[in-house]
Amino acid sequence: VTRALLIALWATAPLAAQAGDPRLSRLDPAVRPAVVALVDSARAAGLPVEPLVQRALEGTSKGASPDRILAAVRRLTRDLGAARAALGAATAPEIDAGAAALHSGARPADLAALRARRPRQSLVVPLGVLADLVATGVPPDTAAAAVLALAATTPDAEYLVFRRNVERDIALGAPPAAAAAVRSTGATADMTPRP
Amino acid sequence: VSDSLDAPVARALAELRRPLRLDAALDARIMAAVAAEPVPRARPDRARALWVWLARPRTLRLSPLAGLAAAAGVAVLAWWHPWTPPVGDTPAPAQVQFVFVDAGAATVAVVGDFNDWDPGASPLSRAQPGSLWVVTIPLVPGRHRYAFVVDGRRWMPDPGAPRAVGDDFDTPSSVVTVGGDS
Repeated sequence: VTRALLIALWATAPLAAQAGDPRLSRLDPAVRPAVVALVDSARAAGLPVEPLVQRALEGTSKGASPDRILAAVRRLTRDLGAARAALGAATAPEIDAGAAALHSGARPADLAALRARRPRQSLVVPLGVLADLVATGVPPDTAAAAVLALAATTPDAEYLVFRRNVERDIALGAPPAAAAAVRSTGATADMTPRP
Repeated sequence: VSDSLDAPVARALAELRRPLRLDAALDARIMAAVAAEPVPRARPDRARALWVWLARPRTLRLSPLAGLAAAAGVAVLAWWHPWTPPVGDTPAPAQVQFVFVDAGAATVAVVGDFNDWDPGASPLSRAQPGSLWVVTIPLVPGRHRYAFVVDGRRWMPDPGAPRAVGDDFDTPSSVVTVGGDS
């Protein structure tokens, strides 16, 4: 009897797991089980799963093929794992932002260095600015150096001002690497206490 | 001690030294009397009684058919039970205004990972008169991907915001970063 009960529970377990997040019912049936399995694996590994669900929903709303949705979710899972490993103890938004930074071209060592320089502050904005800078054309090494140079003293709001300034300079014709380097130097000087 | 007292004392001593013969049924009568007395009971502790009842092992007898029915019931409950996202120490949201400019659009909506990419969730309102479309949405600190959907079919990134890295679906998205500290 016990064996029959266990077999029945085992047989119905996939149904229960698939029912974990009703939002995933919007996915194409061809890709839904694989995405659910990835989400479950990520949850078991202690990774934030909301970014995975949202990436799958994004692909579905945009009409992407099941293969592309699955590839995107799979790649994001890898990036989240790498970001968590590089950051150590981190919040879900930090891991999500770290995954974006890694995908943009930042190195895991950059994330670890950022954590070392801001051990008690949120890294969401610095990591987001790092990814944004690379997206605007700043080379990953230059972007990482700029963000790290500001890490010790710069509050979130100043990071966002720094990013806007770099974007404005690029829009006005400045080379992205030069814009980031110059604005980083200026921002660092602004934040240095004067006697 | 005088000789006149020796005799009574000797008799008393002899009487005291005489073995006492007890009734053979005395023990049985005493035990019967004790058993007949009401036993004082402590006040019932309901919590302890409940715990004992809960913790006592039991053997359930269940037919295979009943086992299958129970498993099916669990599956149905899991399927229909309203699911809610896990709630942690959610930081306070910030009010973020989304602006889009399109004079010819009939409808504009913002979709993103803050509304499950649902085109019907967050429509923008036209700022009368003109081409400006606006909506304000509370966003928790973090990095949010989003895009605009114009007239229900045309996907547009926000020209005033950074592009999201990793355009996995050939339809670019934008990013807004909401800070969590000063």
